[in-house]
Amino acid sequence: MASKPYSEALIPGAFKWISGLTLFILLAPMVVVILSGLNAGEFLTFPPEGLSLRWIEAFFASDIFLGAYFYSLIIALITMVISLILGTAISLFLIRSTALGRNMIRAVVMAPIMLPGIVIGLALYLFYISSDIGLARTQAGLVIGHVLVTCPYVIGMVSAALVGFDRSLEEAARSLGASRWTTFRKITMPMISPALIAGGVFAFIVSFGQFDVSLFLTPPNNTPLPIALYSSLRYTFEPTAAAAGIFAIALVVVSMVITAKITSLRRLTAATYK
Amino acid sequence: MQGTEESKRLWLLAMPGLTFFLVFFLVPLGALFLISFDKSSTGIVDIRWMFDFSNYERFFTRSIYYEAALRSVGLAALVAVIALLLGYPLAYVIAKTTDPARNTFLMILVLSAMQLDMVIRLFGLMVLLGDNGLINQVLQSAGWDRVPLMYNFFGVVVGLVQFALPFMILSLVGVIQGINPSLEEAARSLGASRWRAFWKVTVPMSMPGILAGLLLVFALAISSYVVPTLMGGWKVIVLPIHIFQQISELAKWQFGASVAVIMFLISITAMLVYQRTSNRLAGGRV
Repeated sequence: MASKPYSEALIPGAFKWISGLTLFILLAPMVVVILSGLNAGEFLTFPPEGLSLRWIEAFFASDIFLGAYFYSLIIALITMVISLILGTAISLFLIRSTALGRNMIRAVVMAPIMLPGIVIGLALYLFYISSDIGLARTQAGLVIGHVLVTCPYVIGMVSAALVGFDRSLEEAARSLGASRWTTFRKITMPMISPALIAGGVFAFIVSFGQFDVSLFLTPPNNTPLPIALYSSLRYTFEPTAAAAGIFAIALVVVSMVITAKITSLRRLTAATYK
Repeated sequence: MQGTEESKRLWLLAMPGLTFFLVFFLVPLGALFLISFDKSSTGIVDIRWMFDFSNYERFFTRSIYYEAALRSVGLAALVAVIALLLGYPLAYVIAKTTDPARNTFLMILVLSAMQLDMVIRLFGLMVLLGDNGLINQVLQSAGWDRVPLMYNFFGVVVGLVQFALPFMILSLVGVIQGINPSLEEAARSLGASRWRAFWKVTVPMSMPGILAGLLLVFALAISSYVVPTLMGGWKVIVLPIHIFQQISELAKWQFGASVAVIMFLISITAMLVYQRTSNRLAGGRV
């Protein structure tokens, strides 16, 4: 859209005040977690009694939180790779096929984003147990749940990129003798790479912060970070948990900055939340 | 000939993914529905094919359950309205911010707040709202009494609003930006005050985004488990809490499944209306 220098002058003053309050509600919890994790005191106090790295060190020495952090990282990476592969293939089908029922298939594969995660997790859990396929409370069973709720982000972003895709380059490569796979790798993939990166980052982050789907699916011996933090937060405020939170916040902010650098954030969210 | 070849290849390409969604999404949801109608038997999960409505009867005849459903619906509706009132101004500011760097910065803030694990955000909120939290410290130093800000209904509302705001804002930004600014300017140049131009032009034109945002937030808020458990201190019992208790603590699988189906139906109704409204508006943008 062309820049309209006077459009900002139309913002009513009251809106700026409420926006400030809204930004405070959005961001204050993150600031509190960061400061609590850097607190120098023996207990969690706010405002902090001075800053130190003692709780960061405690986090690195903590089996529970550091273990949970790395477990979440691994789950998120596996989830991201599977979601990217399945999601890109489904997107190609949805956009390029003329098969009947595409709209219905699209509605089904996009649905997990909107449906209650706790119901999806419970349905999978009941399915694992009653079908006796050995996935209940296993890592594979957990990853399956995460792929379900992250794949729609990949599909949303990749299919949006495929809609305006000029296929003449692909046809040129094919007519020069390139195989389908080479054509995809050398032509299609580079052209949709911003969507692939954005979709991958979203899949990663949504899996990393996933609580609802994990609730019924977490293996007994390994706990993802959100579940570990929840268990600790039910009883006490541990500064070590806040230190773990700092590293989670860093991961999310870095991911969003990367996404913002390579693609338009507004187009990206418009593709997913509709 | 080439067309059918191509479409066969595309089917083959999508087959692993589509099979995945069939086996791990549609079939489990179907099983959940079946189990919710199966005869209740503590500890036994297998479908016994003895279907009746007893689980649903139990739900709608015991006040502890149907009151939780009403509480969930009321809570989610309240949160949706508050999120709209707080979210619209920020969405408007983002939509009207033309400087690309500042605009991207605001979007990164909203998206980071949205994507950060809710448990971590609740940690921060609880430190702020606790009996010895920052807000109560400020109140006390001003000579006021402490106010219980969490482990009650108020705390759950604050937590859910914090959870839902980014979704509301993202639903609104695109729609507000799609409104031609010259319409507001025309109203202004014809003598309307800034507020009048806003109420008569901008608000009606952002209605699709407002409706979509309300429904999305409603569906998200009604299904949250962490916020009511951590912020409500087990005093605000909503449907997700019943689901978890029936399954994990009481091993009442069939009844737990029926509570899950009821919550699923409430939120899918909101979602279907949401998709209707956002499809209608998607024609004009993106």
